[in-house]
Amino acid sequence: MNIKTQGVLVLAVLVLAVTSIGTAQAKSEGLVTIYSSRKEHLIKPLFESFTKDTGIKVMYLTGKGGALIERLKLEGKNTKADMFMTVDAGNLWYAATQGLFQAVQTQTLESNIPSHLRDPKGLWTGLSVRARTIVYSTERVNPADLSTYENLADAKWANRLCLRTSKKIYTKSLVASMIYHHGKNKAGDIISGWVNNLAATPNAKDSHVMNAIVSGQCDVGLVNTYYFARLIAKRPNVPLRLFWANQDTTGVHVNVSGAGVTKYAPNAKGAIKLLEWLSSAKAQAIYASLNKEYPANQNIAEDEVVSSWGSFKQDKMNLTQAGVLQADAVKLMQTKDYR
Amino acid sequence: MLLVNHLSIVYQTTQVLNKFDLSLATGDIFALTGDSGSGKSSALRFIAGLDEVQSGQVVLDGNQLSNNGVHNIAPELRKIGMVFQDYALFPHMNVKKNIAFGIHHLSNSEQQARVEELLLMIGLEGIEQKYPHQLSGGEQQRIALARALAPSPKLLLLDEPFSSLDKNHQEQLVLQVRDILKKTNVTSILVTHDKHEATIFADKVGVIENKQLTIN
Amino acid sequence: MSVLALSVAMPIFVVALSWLFPERELWAHFSTVLLPNLISATAVLLTGVGLGVTLLGTILAYLVVMVEFPGRRWLEWALFLPFAIPAYVLAFVYLGVFDYSGYVQVWMREVLGLPGFDIRTRSWAVILTFVLVFYPYVYMMVRASFKRQKINIIEASQLLGASPLRVFFNISLPMARPAVAAGLLVTLMETLADFGVVSLFNFDTFTTAIYSAWGDFRSIEVAAQLASLLVLAAFFLIYFEKKARGQAKYYSTDVSNKKPYHALGIVGWLISLFVFGVFMLSFAMPMLQLIIWGWTSISEEWSAKYVDLIVSTSVLTVSAALITISIATILALPSCCKKNNLWLKGVISMATLGYALPGSIMAVGLLYGINQISAISVYFGAQSINHIIFGSIALLLFAYVSRFMAIGYSSIKASAEQIKPMFTQSAHLLGASRLRLIWQVYLPMMMPGILAGSLLIAVDVMKELPATYLLRPFGWDTLAVQVYELSAEGLFERAAVPALIMVLFGAVLMLIFQLLDKKSSKNL
Repeated sequence: MNIKTQGVLVLAVLVLAVTSIGTAQAKSEGLVTIYSSRKEHLIKPLFESFTKDTGIKVMYLTGKGGALIERLKLEGKNTKADMFMTVDAGNLWYAATQGLFQAVQTQTLESNIPSHLRDPKGLWTGLSVRARTIVYSTERVNPADLSTYENLADAKWANRLCLRTSKKIYTKSLVASMIYHHGKNKAGDIISGWVNNLAATPNAKDSHVMNAIVSGQCDVGLVNTYYFARLIAKRPNVPLRLFWANQDTTGVHVNVSGAGVTKYAPNAKGAIKLLEWLSSAKAQAIYASLNKEYPANQNIAEDEVVSSWGSFKQDKMNLTQAGVLQADAVKLMQTKDYR
Repeated sequence: MLLVNHLSIVYQTTQVLNKFDLSLATGDIFALTGDSGSGKSSALRFIAGLDEVQSGQVVLDGNQLSNNGVHNIAPELRKIGMVFQDYALFPHMNVKKNIAFGIHHLSNSEQQARVEELLLMIGLEGIEQKYPHQLSGGEQQRIALARALAPSPKLLLLDEPFSSLDKNHQEQLVLQVRDILKKTNVTSILVTHDKHEATIFADKVGVIENKQLTIN
Repeated sequence: MSVLALSVAMPIFVVALSWLFPERELWAHFSTVLLPNLISATAVLLTGVGLGVTLLGTILAYLVVMVEFPGRRWLEWALFLPFAIPAYVLAFVYLGVFDYSGYVQVWMREVLGLPGFDIRTRSWAVILTFVLVFYPYVYMMVRASFKRQKINIIEASQLLGASPLRVFFNISLPMARPAVAAGLLVTLMETLADFGVVSLFNFDTFTTAIYSAWGDFRSIEVAAQLASLLVLAAFFLIYFEKKARGQAKYYSTDVSNKKPYHALGIVGWLISLFVFGVFMLSFAMPMLQLIIWGWTSISEEWSAKYVDLIVSTSVLTVSAALITISIATILALPSCCKKNNLWLKGVISMATLGYALPGSIMAVGLLYGINQISAISVYFGAQSINHIIFGSIALLLFAYVSRFMAIGYSSIKASAEQIKPMFTQSAHLLGASRLRLIWQVYLPMMMPGILAGSLLIAVDVMKELPATYLLRPFGWDTLAVQVYELSAEGLFERAAVPALIMVLFGAVLMLIFQLLDKKSSKNL
């Protein structure tokens, strides 16, 4: 036996040994397996609470939405995942069009979650609502000057606007809603206006947008409200405030995080149980307090900090539109050089 | 007994050596000289089984090692030792391990004895634990010789082993190596460009001129 | 051997096969709107980063090897440390410190009264970040090469009246050219494949288009087609590296610790200041920021989970490094490739191209490949292997091997090329079998390259995110995944905790390497 064969054998043994550790996981009826593009620290407390209530264990794997969808597609019937959980209606819509979900329509879900936050066929269910609106500097902006997303394209905001990168799904969905309400041409003009008004290269994170406003680089920006909640938790006196956009017109752009039971779920029963539990008052309260999002279950009170911002009119655009128009939104932003 | 017949070497398209014939009796010391590019090193490497050539046959003690310029027996099985121009001592091995490299099939005590015997013969006792980079050029050269002699080869080839040594010690060392070879009675071929070195070292001297070998 | 190299190259083939599924409409949009700008931006980035790492890495290596100056001994090792920090972590620290709202600019505006500026609008900031992250590649390889340069050559040129600068440009640098080229190659391939740093700076490169095709237009095919262009670029880079190296063989086995130059007095201190400055900027300052962040969040972030994270990271790092380096060693053995075996040579160079592929594209390529093999085996009546392979650690290890083969291979090849043919020949003439030749001659002589390669791979695997994130089995979260999950949510303070553990981890690896390296190169 020469050195090469030896080497290959050693490797093979090593790989097999490690593989067996990796796959040696007991199959169990009381186990729900989840692929999630929500980050671990946001979902772990929920699952722990669920296990305590029901005795059903939860195993999860976090990842990026697009990558997990690809993985689910390729795994097909062999998938271990019972549920796919992600943020943004666009992602949920796409997963649904790829046939990754099975329809789930139960009374509990229907009474807990309003219909515009659910897929009409029950393929996915929204579990929390996030609002994307205007944030402004209390030092340099008179809130009377603020009105709509569209208004931020006005020349009076020249060199005063900060935006998050067009690569983030939140931006894409917002622009999709612009296309939905105004058509491509007008939406394109609005984007051009935004780009002309930018005081800085679009930021990678919402938190960077707020830092930039605080430091005086720009005066207004667009953020998801829970990022603002995190900032004021750390710096209660930060000279920033939220402004509810488009209250006299289309309403504040909202999106959801949600989940669906996978088509080939080995434990669909357990997954449905979890989905129902996640829509329950208890879970929705955790959602609301953990990440300062708006509960999807309208019977649950908002977190104290969140409710202090006041109530607002939501954009009632059906959320599947965010998915349908996403590619157009991206093309439009790329054409208008919104990076 | 070494026989080399009809050795011809062609570099790309130029013939450099034509029908080289050589016969050496056991214990003979032969020196091969010629200008650079005359093919003398190539001839040596062919005999060692390292490079193949146009045509040629090598017979050592009745065994046909190569024929028609192609090798029948791999270098490691030929029982031929070689000392390289820059010695090729393994840099990561100490002197003892270097010398014992070719006799690893012997027991430890036999290896130890052979190493000591060879070190005594080359006059470098007690440096078993040193590494090549801690030795002078002349010392490295003699270690390389000891390493080549350790497995008691039937034929020893020396490829310009003295050329990088300083002139003052060169002649002394040439004679010392000759003595060692005579003591061990090993058939040897030295390749050198230095005619004087060849004359004092060898019993017979061959010169390659105009593609032909002439033996004086 | 071919089979080995072929399987390592599998993701590359899958990516190339994507051309069977053309999508005209998307290509039309890409080629008119995105690509012209992206290609020129990528070219600017590569040029800047290439020049930067070459200059910085080579100068630093030259200083620590050839010149004695105050603090040299520990700086020589300290300069490796930035390598342990993932590029995207450094990028978010730099942005936090140097962007408009960072300490530096706030101080400049408030104390000096200077106007603020957006560091992300120009390309130099992102280029500088890459240079500070990747210079250790060039530094590491060139340092090793300078160490092997015979000191007498330098002394000879000194005696011939050459100034230190002339010695550097005319002697040391040309002799170190293969090492510079190798380090540069790795850097450029990393830069091409990067997504983390460029997205933090919102600097669009070719990779941006790949992710856009996949993420926005849901076309994994176009993403793969674009990625295959990256591979093509990498192929040309490798080709030019080989060309640049030419026929020259740079044999040398000497290692000297004697320094030809002694910088005394003010010059010595200036050199110290410069080298120390690089160390500060690329390591100490970001570390300080991470420690400050980590300090404020450690009580919130630390939990028993970290034990698991550390164990998974260690197991993956060590096994991936061992497997990759073993295969790379087999492929790089001097006896492996007969000069005329073009087929094998070709397959091996294919196998080393994976480094230029963005990690997640490579990972998806791997999944597709396995899926196709599975489909074929089902067609022939066998069972599908998907459920065994998908989500198994073997697949993740496979991905690491494919991705990091280039590093292992080039680092080992560099030391294998220093084994002169006469060593092989004399071992043969002394009756050594092939096995003995490999065990007792090749492996010990290749050991410095094997060790350096293992270290580089281990640190890279530890930092690797996209493939790990996509392919890891349940319960195999790594420190890099944790860093990403927290920083993606903007929780940089908490992300500092796993980031610091990673750096510590990397520093330990570096320390082990240093000890082994000293031992193994003592007599080479």
